[in-house]
Amino acid sequence: MRENDPSSKNKVGEIKEDEVKKIMKVKIETRGVVLKTDGEYILEKEGEKGLKQLEAELKRLGHPIKYREIETMAFYPAGLRALSLLAIKKTFNFDDEKIQEMGVVATKKSLIIKLFIRYFLSVQKVFFEEAPRIWQKHWTKGILTPLKLNEEKKYAILKLENFDLHPLYCSVYLPGYFSGILQMLIKTNKITAQETKCSFRGDEYHEYLLKWL
Amino acid sequence: MAVRETKKEKISILLEDLASLESYARDLFGFFPNPVLLVSSSGIILEANPAFEKITGHKTEEIVGRPIEDFFEKEKMATLVEKSLSKGHIGGEEINLFDKNKNALPVSVSTMLRKNESGEVVGFFLGLFDLTNSKKAEENLRNAQAALTNILEDAEEARARAEEEKNKTRAIILNFTDGILVFNEKNRLALINPSAERLLNIKAKNIMNGSISELNNFSGLEPLTKALGTKFEEIFRKEISIKNDLILELSTVPVMVNKDKRLGTLVILHDVSRDKIIERMKSEFVSLAAHQLRTPLSAIKWTMKMLMEGDLGPISKEQREFIEKTYHSNERMIGLINDLLDLTRIEEGRYLYKPALSNFELMVEYVVNSYKEEAAKKKIKLEFKKTEGKLPSVRLDAEKIKLAIQNLIDNAVKYTPSGGLVTISLNYDKDKVELSVQDNGVGIPEDQQKRVFSKFFRGANVMRLDTEGSGLGLFITKNIIEAHGGKIWFESAKDRGSTFHFTLPVKTEFESFLKEF
Repeated sequence: MRENDPSSKNKVGEIKEDEVKKIMKVKIETRGVVLKTDGEYILEKEGEKGLKQLEAELKRLGHPIKYREIETMAFYPAGLRALSLLAIKKTFNFDDEKIQEMGVVATKKSLIIKLFIRYFLSVQKVFFEEAPRIWQKHWTKGILTPLKLNEEKKYAILKLENFDLHPLYCSVYLPGYFSGILQMLIKTNKITAQETKCSFRGDEYHEYLLKWL
Repeated sequence: MAVRETKKEKISILLEDLASLESYARDLFGFFPNPVLLVSSSGIILEANPAFEKITGHKTEEIVGRPIEDFFEKEKMATLVEKSLSKGHIGGEEINLFDKNKNALPVSVSTMLRKNESGEVVGFFLGLFDLTNSKKAEENLRNAQAALTNILEDAEEARARAEEEKNKTRAIILNFTDGILVFNEKNRLALINPSAERLLNIKAKNIMNGSISELNNFSGLEPLTKALGTKFEEIFRKEISIKNDLILELSTVPVMVNKDKRLGTLVILHDVSRDKIIERMKSEFVSLAAHQLRTPLSAIKWTMKMLMEGDLGPISKEQREFIEKTYHSNERMIGLINDLLDLTRIEEGRYLYKPALSNFELMVEYVVNSYKEEAAKKKIKLEFKKTEGKLPSVRLDAEKIKLAIQNLIDNAVKYTPSGGLVTISLNYDKDKVELSVQDNGVGIPEDQQKRVFSKFFRGANVMRLDTEGSGLGLFITKNIIEAHGGKIWFESAKDRGSTFHFTLPVKTEFESFLKEF
């Protein structure tokens, strides 16, 4: 089993120093909003005490984050985004379902998504025109490309290239995030999103299959 | 290099401005007290402000991404969405919003389209105004209005009923055969019915609103005004003579509200002229018949007496017994005739007593002694209990008082069986003397006690005993005692006996004594 194998997602153990160093070496930057939505989620679910616990864990890892001081539109090291998720999972013993829910909730509170709402005219437009732009607004690296959209058969495939941050993010959090956006486009109670290809599993890129009923 | 630094600085400034703008937008959105939603053109909620979260009880993540119809009456909201998209806006449409607990909250909806820079419709803003309080106020107002309407209807109904009652009462009063006059709280005449007009020979229009003193000026009304007085004290069946052959029975009743507020006085005039004429004719007939009967009965009495005393020659023992029985029967008939004559005198108002200061005790003793022989014959013990001190002299008509005492003792002896006891007691205080006649005889049944002092009353139990009596004794006795200003009463229990009492006033004041003469 590789170090970053997604199958490790069910294990909540100590975050190793080597792993932290490796994550923090990733040369990508992200908008503060992704960290901000993490902090807001924890504050709501675990309260002030929970938020302090989380900040203490990050401090212990050597990369303290003051969530309230994060600037929504500023750029931060992408490693912090991955560390934030790992610390949350470890501190609160969150399972994958909970991490995925964080992704869904983030879309509903994200300022960047709010800025894009004015372009949410149709599923087609959002997929083929706005999705790549939304990615670019968040990250300094990686290309999000829509591969297929079949509204009749109710599925879509997205491709994410050149983006290797952490499996917890790409395999668990991100499918939730895509689901959240899709909820704002399609009137349905049932949306599923899963990563069908992953660069951490030896694939060339990440691929996501989104389905709805 | 300097250029790059400048660009970085510019970007930094822009980011700061953006953060400020975000903070401002967030604060403004959060502050806004009315619920606001941003809805996509496909009807999905893209944004909700805290006021919407508060009113529904849902969190943002439970709201954003859900169809707008999930929170409202589906069909009505679908129409409103369609209307908003086609017209560009709607305003003040009422709809029910459902909160997390499925409670319906009345809200007013306004919408406004949102377009992007290309002019394409990206959705619409939807603002809500919570109508719960205004609906409640409206409902309260409606309830109050309904209650007020009910009250008004009730009041109108009550007024109509009161009016109807008033008309009925008025009709009754106007058509009443008795004369009715109503005086208001200021003792002025407020109503007079046609019967009263006829009886008093006066027109209502001439005397309406008149006071007693003003009514006194009208001829023929004087007996009425004199009887009423200025204070309108209660009167019960007082006879007044308006003119020859017109005798009215006058009664007054205070018209009260809540027992303590006097609204006026009701005066009732009942024409008893015909009754009086019949009564007088009856009395005259009885008087005439009694007088006519008494003369031959007296002749029979003296003839019997002469026979018994042998003035008309010797008679055998057997003849004497027959004559004695006839004599006693004749005596009873004379007694009955005398009672009837007393009755007619009482009814004609001719039973006036002739008072004189008398020794009441001696008078009682005299009557008691006259019954000793009869009591002894019946083996009844007759006791006379005098007072320890000396009784004061009492002004009385000796003949009538003797008759009253005689009637009471006679009844006691008559209705007490052999071996019984009759006790006559005297008592007095500074105001009155009292006589009590107690027996342990048959008593008076409770259901008949109210009629004891009525004319011709005889108890059902004594009638079965085959005793003699006219039923006039107690009526005459009561009239005698009351004519002296005294009182008479009794206690009785069937088969246990009766006690009759009467009192006579003792007048000590010389002036009051003189007034009587």
